[in-house]
Amino acid sequence: MNNGALLDQAVGELFSREITPGVLADAERDGWSQPLWSAISEMGLPGVGLPEEHGGQGGSVADSLAVLRIAGWHALPLPLAETGLLGGWLLSSSGLPIPATPLTTVAQRDGDDLSWDGATVTGVLRGVPWARHCSHVVALVDGAVVQLSRDELTVTAATNLAGEPRDTIVCDHVTPVAWAAAGVGVDLESLRLRGALTRVCLMAGAIERVLDVTVRHTDERRQFGKPIARFQAVQAHLVHIAQQAAIASMAADVAAREYARGHAAFEVWAAKTMCGEAARIATRAAHQAHGAMGMTQEYVLHHLTRRLWSWTREYEDIGWARRIGDVVIERGADGLYPLITAGSGPRL
Amino acid sequence: MAVVHNRGILRFAATELTTSELALQAEVREFLDHELPGGSRRPGLGFNAPADREFSRKLGARGWLGMALPKRYGGGERTAVERFVVTEELLSRGAPVGHHWVADRQSGAVIARFGTEEQKTTFLPGVCSGELGFSIGMSEPDAGSDLAAVRTRATRVDGGWTVNGTKVWTTGAHRNDFMVTLCRTDDSEDRHAGLTQLIIDLRADGVTVNPIPFIDGTHDFNEVVLDDVFIADSRVLGDVGQGWSQNTAELAFERGGPDRYLSTYPVIEQFLREAAPGSLGAESARFLGHATATWWVLRNLSLSIARAIDAGGSPVQEAALVKEIGTRFEQDLLLGVQSLLDIEPSPESQSLFEQLLCEAILTAPSNTIRGGTTEILLSVAAKGLAR
Repeated sequence: MNNGALLDQAVGELFSREITPGVLADAERDGWSQPLWSAISEMGLPGVGLPEEHGGQGGSVADSLAVLRIAGWHALPLPLAETGLLGGWLLSSSGLPIPATPLTTVAQRDGDDLSWDGATVTGVLRGVPWARHCSHVVALVDGAVVQLSRDELTVTAATNLAGEPRDTIVCDHVTPVAWAAAGVGVDLESLRLRGALTRVCLMAGAIERVLDVTVRHTDERRQFGKPIARFQAVQAHLVHIAQQAAIASMAADVAAREYARGHAAFEVWAAKTMCGEAARIATRAAHQAHGAMGMTQEYVLHHLTRRLWSWTREYEDIGWARRIGDVVIERGADGLYPLITAGSGPRL
Repeated sequence: MAVVHNRGILRFAATELTTSELALQAEVREFLDHELPGGSRRPGLGFNAPADREFSRKLGARGWLGMALPKRYGGGERTAVERFVVTEELLSRGAPVGHHWVADRQSGAVIARFGTEEQKTTFLPGVCSGELGFSIGMSEPDAGSDLAAVRTRATRVDGGWTVNGTKVWTTGAHRNDFMVTLCRTDDSEDRHAGLTQLIIDLRADGVTVNPIPFIDGTHDFNEVVLDDVFIADSRVLGDVGQGWSQNTAELAFERGGPDRYLSTYPVIEQFLREAAPGSLGAESARFLGHATATWWVLRNLSLSIARAIDAGGSPVQEAALVKEIGTRFEQDLLLGVQSLLDIEPSPESQSLFEQLLCEAILTAPSNTIRGGTTEILLSVAAKGLAR
């Protein structure tokens, strides 16, 4: 077994043990789970894929994306992606140390208006995951990476469809605890791309789990004297979920592989587009196959489907399908099939 | 990337082309740039594409037919992935693959697997050179998806068999040379027993081929009437009574390849080719982007199936899964592109795009029928999900 597989196994065991139905319910009620955060911090998961000299755990980006797949499978209710692959990356790539506390960040979208005057940050940033429970908000603003102490900000609580915190922060001439000019390769586009890739990996894991729980449920649930999985109409739902799980998984695998190599814009755009569609089809089929049980908060399905509906919209404001289409149109008819086979390459 | 959780559920491992496979891709592209320059002709749609024996011979001369067959019969002993590389390039260009398609994809493979030495020596070199065209003699008036219901009967006679019956919807029987024919040789309690595959010369005495006009008015389908056709023992393919299992193996060759998501690709490419510069707005971009993302992921799944075959696997359920989704996608593309346009498509249009669109609208329903209907594929794939 290689290191990646060992890590996957250890993470899978940790999440299986720690993320119980009770923990998920408590985390939704409280917006946080300190015992769970302590458990993942002890294992060093937030720092996987970040350089040790800046406070990370080392390992590759591929490793941390693999951890996110497993986090998605278990509906991990914590800002693992934000602390590591996104916020930790913004800091370490710009030469700043990564604190050993939960971090959060999000790319600015239309309607956000953070500005940086060289000394202080002013403005509004919305949809900041778990801001109220994180020590710091990291933001990319006007070419600078700034680390803001939560205590200096006005945080207004808001949630996504899954009940996870997606808060609004307001800054009024806040002096960062640390800042630096954005490092090489760090800009709004690359942050959005990374953000989209984290959602792709979370979504692929969650859709695989949706398949798993639906296969189990339809085997165990009996109606008309037999397991409902024996009915062809129900089998069609299972196959449709399996197709979407295969699509989301493959999209995430290839996007992660190419991202680790350095040129993955097309693959991430395409993967996010496909995962969004996969989530739509798989959640509909899974709910149909579960009947009323799937509509309750007592049963696990909603932890996955509500997150999938949220992740579908996150890091999607740019409209990735349209971006791909713009490239297709620019390259013209003879460039289309080569784009499908070669993807980003260094030229996109 | 290892996914530790979905044990036992259909599995697709991501893969990519090696340096030598990329070199083959470049070689095929160069050949096609020369033979079929983009925009220079009317492309064919998938394996509905025109039959062009001359073109097939050129592919054969390049070693791009019968690629996986043994060298001693003219094959290339190459991999499923290499065959995938050649096939996807041909289909994305709308190449005229109609003549060799069935022979290359499945008849050659079943003869290599189940045939006698004499059959291999007789048929495979012609498959590899692009000379021989094959038809598939499975469907009958009362045996569509339920192939075990075939009634075409082969009766034992001195030195062989006499065959009587009718095959229908037989693609290309009017122009092809041979038909691998599923016949009943024994009335058994078990409907799946007592079936045998025979290689029938479509020009033999007693064989009558009548056209069945295809939905778009073209001649593709046929009725093949077999009236006391004598078939020598040497033309029994595999074992007498084993037709069902051989046939199942044959169908596996028919599923999961790039032909299952590229049939309508030339329509969309032509849409792009004919669009006036600057005329495609945000809605078109979203449609093209979504389509491209879908081709990309389906290609990766299909490539993964080819790689699994090369590793000795038998990804039957995975292939059914991909075929089912790919064939629906091919049809969805036609709805999508029409939603962008204010046209009433006419086959007489001056626009090649519109002509192709008409052809595709009329023929696309067959994509989710031939080689296993959507309903059959769902049932095959569901077996992979049973606990």
